[in-house]
Amino acid sequence: MRIDSLILRTAVRLVLPLTVLLAIYAALNGHNAPGGGFIAGLVTTVGLCTYRMAFGERAFHRLFPVHPRWLVVAGLGLTLVVAIIPLLAGEPLLRSASTVLRLGGQELHLVSATVFDLGVLVVVVGVAVGMITRLGEELGP
Amino acid sequence: MAPADPSLVLAAVGAPVVAGLATLLIPRAQNLARVLLAACGPAASLLLLGVHLTRYGVAPNHAGTTSINWVPSLHLDLSFLVDGLGAFFALLVAGVGVLIVFYSRGYFGNDASSLARFFPALGFFTSSMLGVFLADHLLLTALFWELTSISSFFLIGWERDDETAVKRAMQAFFTTGFGGLALLGGVLLLGDTTGVWRWSDLVATASEIGSSGTVVAAFVLIFVGAASKSAQWPLHYWLPGAMLAPTPVSAFLHSATMVKAGVFLLGRLLPVFGLLTIWLPLVVAFGAVTMLLGAGLALRQHNLKLIFAYLTVSQLGLFVCMYGFGGVTDGHGGSAIDWDLSQIASHGLYKAPLFLIAGALAHRLGTRRLPELFGLWHRGVSGSRVLVVVLLAASYALAGGPGTVSFVAKELFLGAAHHAAASHPALLVVVAMAVLAAACNVAIVVRLVATVFGWRLGVRDDLPGRDVVHGKDRWGPVLWVPAAGLVLVQYIGGLLPPVWNSVFRRLEVNVNDEAFTDGLPWLWEPFLHPGAPLAMSLAAIGLGVVLGCSQRMRGDIVDVHDRIYPVTYRLILQYGHRAFHGIQTGHLRHYLVFVFTLLLLGISWAAWVDPAMLRLPDGVAPFESLTGLLLGAVVCAAAIALPLVTERVVRVLVLGASGFAVVGLYLLYQAIDLALTQLMFEIISVLLFLLVLRLLPRLDRRPLISPRPRLALAALVGITIGWMTLLAGHAADQRTNEAVTLGAFFEEHSLHGTEVTDGRGGEGRNIVNVILVDFRGFDTLGEITVLATAALGVWSMLPGRRRHRNDEGQPGTIAAEVER
Repeated sequence: MRIDSLILRTAVRLVLPLTVLLAIYAALNGHNAPGGGFIAGLVTTVGLCTYRMAFGERAFHRLFPVHPRWLVVAGLGLTLVVAIIPLLAGEPLLRSASTVLRLGGQELHLVSATVFDLGVLVVVVGVAVGMITRLGEELGP
Repeated sequence: MAPADPSLVLAAVGAPVVAGLATLLIPRAQNLARVLLAACGPAASLLLLGVHLTRYGVAPNHAGTTSINWVPSLHLDLSFLVDGLGAFFALLVAGVGVLIVFYSRGYFGNDASSLARFFPALGFFTSSMLGVFLADHLLLTALFWELTSISSFFLIGWERDDETAVKRAMQAFFTTGFGGLALLGGVLLLGDTTGVWRWSDLVATASEIGSSGTVVAAFVLIFVGAASKSAQWPLHYWLPGAMLAPTPVSAFLHSATMVKAGVFLLGRLLPVFGLLTIWLPLVVAFGAVTMLLGAGLALRQHNLKLIFAYLTVSQLGLFVCMYGFGGVTDGHGGSAIDWDLSQIASHGLYKAPLFLIAGALAHRLGTRRLPELFGLWHRGVSGSRVLVVVLLAASYALAGGPGTVSFVAKELFLGAAHHAAASHPALLVVVAMAVLAAACNVAIVVRLVATVFGWRLGVRDDLPGRDVVHGKDRWGPVLWVPAAGLVLVQYIGGLLPPVWNSVFRRLEVNVNDEAFTDGLPWLWEPFLHPGAPLAMSLAAIGLGVVLGCSQRMRGDIVDVHDRIYPVTYRLILQYGHRAFHGIQTGHLRHYLVFVFTLLLLGISWAAWVDPAMLRLPDGVAPFESLTGLLLGAVVCAAAIALPLVTERVVRVLVLGASGFAVVGLYLLYQAIDLALTQLMFEIISVLLFLLVLRLLPRLDRRPLISPRPRLALAALVGITIGWMTLLAGHAADQRTNEAVTLGAFFEEHSLHGTEVTDGRGGEGRNIVNVILVDFRGFDTLGEITVLATAALGVWSMLPGRRRHRNDEGQPGTIAAEVER
């Protein structure tokens, strides 16, 4: 499914990096402000799918060369690791740890849950992009 | 005395399976090493049990070992009970197990692949059996019980290419497995009612157990389990059916071990439930019917293995009867049970040799059928005479001839029956049945002797039959030496009772602390003090000789109970098929109707129980903002419009409209996370829908359920779920009656407003996200796993088809496939 439009292509080329940046911001910032891994994953997916609509499948493959299943594997693995590590320390499953880094007067709040959120992001992107591309392949160009 | 340490017993239970599995590491050709290693398993069990018994003595049956905690939340621990009953059975299993290992070497010959396959399965089975006999915990017993069913399935279905053998193995598995379920149910009921989970504690507190309905139900369930395992009528059919197994298996499972598990369990239950009024009639009735039926059926068989199988059924019925008599309460408070373990041991000591010799004959002559053994003694087949001698020696014990333990055992049983009948005259019927069954045994032996020596009254009508025979080779002596050893013990015990008594007196303390005899008597004692038992024995022998010589009751007969399993199996399949197709229509809307109806019924029931659910919670204003009202109206309008439009594309757009209105609602209530997620979700789902729509088959124009009730149902479900959501946000705590809102808890425990986080939530300020990654983090993990699974489904069910275009250059799509 491709929409052949110069305006769309130009717009997507500008918007996609911003979309990805927004997604990363939402994922990292989600602990204390609106955002989170799930939203970030969905935002990324929408960006990627728009790109695929504008530029077609071949260009999308160049941009996104891995099979989405690897994203799913990586994301699930990451979340599982984050979930299990507290068990090794004798804490309940998924208990998050947090620390505050001081960098030149700025406080940086680091939470292990952020890694969990990143895992969720990766899984969501993998699943959604995977489904859409597979269904798109089914339909043909 | 301090409770014993369980690790010795645990090692004894585990040794056979460990040794069995270890034989897998031995190279194929090394048969001797394989056999020796396999024999080490049960031998180690014997040794360890011996050490345990010398160190701690035979425990009274109310003193289990200390336990190793296993699953504390299920009250489950690894605790064992090495009392007389358990130790006896365990020693029997381990001892016969060693002999079987050597015998199977001779039986399978040089068939290396069979041997390689056999020992792990045998070790698994031996360990499970030891576990059943030594477990002290109720659930542990049930667990090992199931393991014996599973492991015996492997052994019975040994000929995995033989369809009949596999079917028979399934039959045995399902029948005993059904009993295992009953046992589990009974054990759970018992443990839950009494709060006691150990046999030893149950025995110690047996007087407090009472006779309430649940206790009786628990007992009946456990009895069903025991009866199915010990092949009691009407479930006895699986045992003769299981005779397709190789002979070592038949000798082991069906004479000495597995079928005794049920008898053993009755011995365990007797001190606990023996005082229930139902014990005597229930146990004795099933035992007596089985005893006579098995003997009668055995008389009409022509295959040695089947004869012995039905005789085993009969003998098991006798044992069940024997424990049934334990429930007799006469004026003196004594139960009519005496030296029960000797009687059970006696059976193993002649039945296992009979099976072993039957297998050895098949090995030498290629047949186990009686007519084909006619005149065997005179045929002069090399090595067959020693087999015949052992066979006849064991048969003499089978007939209960004087000079064997078996004779005294029968005397003891008849004496117990007579004793019981004195206080319960109805039991005279059982006594008569016992005499008839014993007569059948004698008759079979008479025919066997006549056939082997080629006398006129032997069995020789030549009926065609089929027999499974395993390979032959020259490992001859192994085929009869184990059998001869076992038979020898029969005669030692029979002729020199003090030797037997010195061993068994230590074990026979279990059921009856005060046995009314001091042990097996000398051979001549019954004749010096003739009484009712001796008269009954003589009557049985006389009747048996007449029956054996007569030409009547010789034709083959098919047990009518053999139909039970196939018919049940077919009925279950048939109705299961029907039920399956009734429920699984393949239409999503039918499933939804089903699910939603159940949901509505459940909620209605809850509302009926607690009418407060129907009140609007305090502090909720129905219409607090005009914008919200408008957005809600849009959502409702879209929902109503949805079923009215028929085009799928339009439906998707209408659904989208509803979704975007919800986004607006979220924004209105400042739920930015939700709004953002919903927005993204709407975009992606519209995209997905547009992609999928072209793949869907055409709409079915003739729905099975008319749409109008479905619309009503949908509206009702929507309203109900909306209402429940409203209530969920404002639930009142049942105990404190304070208004509790779900949000308050999370607000308190995340870093929003307050500094109190009790370490949860990673001190996040965004409640929604803290819920997702901490409070409900496990849910999130589950959700993304579900997502991944769904993606896997899409990838595997929609394989890339772009390479398989058809001739017109059209892509091969699912829709196209459906059209085709």
